[in-house]
Amino acid sequence: MSSHGERSPEAELGLLDATMIGMGAMIGAGIFVLTGLAAEIAGPAALLVFVLNGVVTAFTALSYAELASAIPKSGGGYAFVREVFADLPSFIMGWLLWFAYMVAGGLYALGFAPNFLELLHVYGITAPPSEVGAVAVPVIDVGIPVGIGLAFGAVLLLVSLNAASTAASGSVETIFTAIKVSILVVFVGYGVTSPQFSGAEFQPLFPGEKTALSILPAMGLTFIAFEGYDLITTVTEEVKNPRENIPKAIFISLAVTLVVYVAVVSVAIGTLGSVGLADAGEAGIAQAATSFMPSFPVIGNGGAVIVFGAVFSTLTALNAVVIASSRVAFSMGREGQLLPSFGQIHHRFGTPFWAIIASAVVMLSSVVLPTQSAGNMSSLFFLLSFVIVNGSVIKLRRERPDMARPYELPYYPITPILGIALNLLLTGVLVVYLLRTDVLALLLSVGWVALGILAYYGLRALGDSEEGTGQQTAVAEDD
Amino acid sequence: MTQDKSVLIVGGGRVGFQTAELLADRGHKITIIERDPATCEALTDEWMATVIQGDATNPEILAQGGLEKADVVAGLTGQSGVNLAVCMMATRLSPDARTVARIDHGDGAGYKQFVDAIVYPERAGARVAANEIVGSDVQTLADVTGTLDIMEVLVEEGAPAAGKRLADVRFPAGTLVISDDDGERVAQPDTELRPGRRYVVAVEPDVVDEVMNLLRG
Repeated sequence: MSSHGERSPEAELGLLDATMIGMGAMIGAGIFVLTGLAAEIAGPAALLVFVLNGVVTAFTALSYAELASAIPKSGGGYAFVREVFADLPSFIMGWLLWFAYMVAGGLYALGFAPNFLELLHVYGITAPPSEVGAVAVPVIDVGIPVGIGLAFGAVLLLVSLNAASTAASGSVETIFTAIKVSILVVFVGYGVTSPQFSGAEFQPLFPGEKTALSILPAMGLTFIAFEGYDLITTVTEEVKNPRENIPKAIFISLAVTLVVYVAVVSVAIGTLGSVGLADAGEAGIAQAATSFMPSFPVIGNGGAVIVFGAVFSTLTALNAVVIASSRVAFSMGREGQLLPSFGQIHHRFGTPFWAIIASAVVMLSSVVLPTQSAGNMSSLFFLLSFVIVNGSVIKLRRERPDMARPYELPYYPITPILGIALNLLLTGVLVVYLLRTDVLALLLSVGWVALGILAYYGLRALGDSEEGTGQQTAVAEDD
Repeated sequence: MTQDKSVLIVGGGRVGFQTAELLADRGHKITIIERDPATCEALTDEWMATVIQGDATNPEILAQGGLEKADVVAGLTGQSGVNLAVCMMATRLSPDARTVARIDHGDGAGYKQFVDAIVYPERAGARVAANEIVGSDVQTLADVTGTLDIMEVLVEEGAPAAGKRLADVRFPAGTLVISDDDGERVAQPDTELRPGRRYVVAVEPDVVDEVMNLLRG
């Protein structure tokens, strides 16, 4: 009945949907991809690694809850910091968070590939993942490793989907998350009752030369698994009664996620042992499942269910970070902190098209990194941005004491200060660890920050010259 | 170039509240200073503006409203004196900010030397305040019985939909472009959204922000 093509407006999300968005991001690729890596560094203490990370993030979760209830803006951490800090710090925050999501995308894509190969292997289509070599590309005389090719393809697919149509709604995310959680519950159920499960695998908790301190670098590496509530706060405007539901969604999703992590990691270590888990790397959970699940009719090998879960989770998590990264770039464009075209909705697709494309470029480039480097960089940037978020709470309380805060975090200022201290501690440990093992990731991180500062002053100069020539309303540049 | 404005509204009562609602729907950033705790609670429930509880004639409270970042300061309380005082303080502390004061008596012409715009709620209500605050490029034309907005929008140079034919632009559901440029004809699929021209658009509140992004950038 109208003279032009239309799209449907977005649905309103309830508490359940908001919680599921957070859980969907946290119980996704992290648990499947990073468990093996954590076991490699910390041994059976990988279990403690996830628990302690949950505790550390809880402090930042409180800060997020207070900010989200008081500042009526979607856009997550960046939007809050923009409200509180001056131009440069808020730009850096957006720049860090944007990168953290993009590299997380690379990480999830890299986690998708071996699990997908494992799935094909379970059905007997290909050889075990470790034996699949490079595929020779006929035209150019170079072999591309299958894993990187698959990861690249996955990113390309989801970016095209998101660029061409509005993001999957919250209710779809709810269904996806429910599927992921049920698959993990099946995994835990079979695992605990299987004869392979043995508490002996946890003894000693710190085998060989590993000590309690080896938990710390593993915590830094797997920290990215807990970035879910930034994602909740990026969609706040679509949530019903946000001042109550957002803090609740943040706390519930963190608590449930922690329980699921503990159960899954316990089963994985208890059955496969930390050494076996470490050897399986990104496909750790999937291999643990293959080892103890019974065979089903039709589906075949019981492990196939879990491998399917891993493939599904990495893809949905990848989808979530494609949306999240483009939203950060979109907000920055709206605020005049990135090119204005980033902050515009495409006239035909109705999506923040250029923000998605720009995010895709970095995400695709990060696919060539080793999984561990991608995880390291993403964790590093999330840690730093969480430091800034905790700082915002303190700065806002000092500068605007009379602001209405429907949710106030308890024991101010101890909680945000603890949040800052713990995040900084992990950042420090991670940097020291990277100096020893992964200088490339560190250099790339420093390079990205340097590039950001260049971009900031470049855009600012561009804005000033425009203001000088025309009588344009270039207010956004200097507000 | 983003068209969003930072607006500081003093007074979250009937007029302030509805003005904030209209402006927030259009994607502007709103901060409200309100003295009454109960009204503040009602405002935070709506989650459309940052709310500061306190007396805006106190400079410390006014500063907490983010005065240095505000593009517009609007005094919309029921007391003309408070509104004027706030606008004059704002002019002093942040000379570039546009000031709008609600005046409930007299013809108001004499106040023009102190504030940039004057609003009479009796005559015009909150919609006029919203129009004054954003300037003349987007004007709400009519009060429809429900919540539908019918507005005249100037298409900005460089906006995503500028220069495109209506058939090529997928507006969100709840949008209807009504007029051809400058209101000569009813819009057709091949009507071009020419930058610098005005179009009458009917929009449901949920999607005003998105439509503004398409037409104004």
